[in-house]
Amino acid sequence: MRIEYGRSFDEISRIVRDTEAFFEKEGIAASIRTAVDLCIEELFVNMVNYNTETESSILLEMHPVEKGVEVSLTDFNVERFDPTELRDVDVDAPASERTPGGLGLYLVLKMVDSIHYEYVDRRSKISFTIKVVAK
Amino acid sequence: MFEIAFNERGEVALEGRLDAAQAARAQAFLDGVAGPCVLDLTKLDYISSAGLGVFLKTHKRMLAGSSGMSLVNVNSHIIDIFRYSGFDKLFDIKVLGQ
Repeated sequence: MRIEYGRSFDEISRIVRDTEAFFEKEGIAASIRTAVDLCIEELFVNMVNYNTETESSILLEMHPVEKGVEVSLTDFNVERFDPTELRDVDVDAPASERTPGGLGLYLVLKMVDSIHYEYVDRRSKISFTIKVVAK
Repeated sequence: MFEIAFNERGEVALEGRLDAAQAARAQAFLDGVAGPCVLDLTKLDYISSAGLGVFLKTHKRMLAGSSGMSLVNVNSHIIDIFRYSGFDKLFDIKVLGQ
């Protein structure tokens, strides 16, 4: 799957529908769909919110791998931002000390089996895999 | 799809997907709710960090008035997100089926 999306939160519902259709077409386990949806949304939203210097579409690519799926999001004509270099969020802090910021990418790092970042020619590409957990 | 409304028990019932596209609408509704407050998540299928932000902001406002939010009928996906984020320590939570 290889689809471009506009820089708007309104695209999230289309991303979800396209992901669902891809999972069904490729026979990818439905048990990992929610995690995939979440990681795509968090990375997409981060790109829309913080890469404001570009109006390019964001490219979403997906292909099956053994027991799961590999997903990539690519943003074009942007500055380098590597989400794998994030500091940890203090998840034990009381409510009075918590802020919502940083949670999205923190959740992505918790939920993926692998994640990789590339930055070439002002193209920022984040790839991750999520696989079915063996019971 | 996302819906938020009071149910017949006076709880705030959320339905569908609370993602970044819906967070502002959820926040606007909850900003009008005085504490204490019970959120019925029976029909909430999905939440992202945007939704967590809505819950946190509302909970902090209500705690300032000495009452917070309780969450009931939380499904397994959402409880996983709460555990990863530490939100399971912030709220009184009843898991679906308890």
